[in-house]
Amino acid sequence: MGIDYASAVAVVRTLENSLFTKNDLEQLINAHDSNESETLINSKNAGTLLEVWEMLRTFAPDSKELEILLYRNDFHNLKAVLKAMVSGREPENYLIEPSNIKAGILKEAFRTKDFDLLPEYIRETATNAYGIITTSLDGQLVDSFIDTDCLKAMRKSADSTGNDFMRKYVDLITVCADIKTAYRCSKMNKQRDFLETAICGSPELDKESIIRATLGGTENLLSFLDSTSYAELSGLLKENPAKFEKRCDDLITEQAQTARFKAFGIEPLIAYYIAKEAEIKNIRIITVCRECGADRETITERLRDLYV
Amino acid sequence: MNSMGLALAIIGASISALLAGIGSAKGVGLVGEAAAGVVSVDPDKFSKVLVLQLLPGTQGLYGLLTAILMLSRIGVIGGNAVELSTAQGLMFLGASLPIAIVGLFSGIAQGRSAAAGVGITARKPEHNGKAIIMAAMVETYAILALLVSILLIYNIAI
Repeated sequence: MGIDYASAVAVVRTLENSLFTKNDLEQLINAHDSNESETLINSKNAGTLLEVWEMLRTFAPDSKELEILLYRNDFHNLKAVLKAMVSGREPENYLIEPSNIKAGILKEAFRTKDFDLLPEYIRETATNAYGIITTSLDGQLVDSFIDTDCLKAMRKSADSTGNDFMRKYVDLITVCADIKTAYRCSKMNKQRDFLETAICGSPELDKESIIRATLGGTENLLSFLDSTSYAELSGLLKENPAKFEKRCDDLITEQAQTARFKAFGIEPLIAYYIAKEAEIKNIRIITVCRECGADRETITERLRDLYV
Repeated sequence: MNSMGLALAIIGASISALLAGIGSAKGVGLVGEAAAGVVSVDPDKFSKVLVLQLLPGTQGLYGLLTAILMLSRIGVIGGNAVELSTAQGLMFLGASLPIAIVGLFSGIAQGRSAAAGVGITARKPEHNGKAIIMAAMVETYAILALLVSILLIYNIAI
């Protein structure tokens, strides 16, 4: 059994003490004004996701597993740069950090049409996406094409690492994305051609089965999901899409929590990043809900489960 | 004088110090890595993680003790080396093996256990004692091996 990252895991375990707890979130919800919220957030020395990422990268500069965590940001940035290029605007406001690929390289790749500048996992997607947008100008098609390719790239890379933790993580992300896409497509009566592009499929939920269920209509899709191990998600979709989103995030956190029992390896580092993402999302939910005047119950209902 | 017997006994003494020492070095090094990680974020936990780091160091001491006892028994320490037959030399070599081999593996295993304990100390410092106890359990087997090695050294007829 490996003893990798002993020092990094110890650092992460210490930093877990400064993650937001349930009590901290309660205090944030009950804060009297934005100044008090800000003081509370600053008192935790929360740090940005980018700072956390940079720290993790110094511990594991060559980790393929860590890199996979940012694929979704990379592919999002690809969409942003592509659309900005087509509309003649600058993409800066739409880019997400942290990412594996610097925005400058993405822009340069599209400017020069030299997609070899990009890492292998995104190269073909960039080439094809450019082809689709320039021939069809169909933004929705490009979006779904890039999103699906992102999931495929994540799966391929997770498989190549041989890390079961990452495989499960990618499975969960893919299942949630596929269910969400299939549900929307069923509502919009999308045809097979579009579904073939938009649905990724995974060992958990087979692509062809989802497509067939989706083509049969929303009720048919939901009853198909009821027969799978993701029946719970189907119920939430019917009830309230916001609850579905929350459950998807919570499933990822539950997967991250399995790393709490590991003393060595890359998993605790990945789990910490996921925990940090959830923490930032929770702070954002509280802040936005408070600004919108949402009541305490609504805010609590929407909060994601905590890692610690 | 049969130098082969003496040579075998000296090899035995060396092996006990060597392998047990390697086990301890690996164990202490691993815990040190983890401990440094904790101290880099929270220097106040230095004393707590230091106890855990010391634990895998004992195997090296047991190896050293075995080597000294053996060298003393065969008279190398003191300058009056006794004459040993090849069979007696092999017996001393055999006597060194329990602490040498168990010391090597238990040092590494205790290092892993103590490094995992550093994680407990990092997250829940109040449970540091439990981390120490769990890592200390591994010590039992090193002590048993030391006991066997000492019994053998003192019961080989020379």
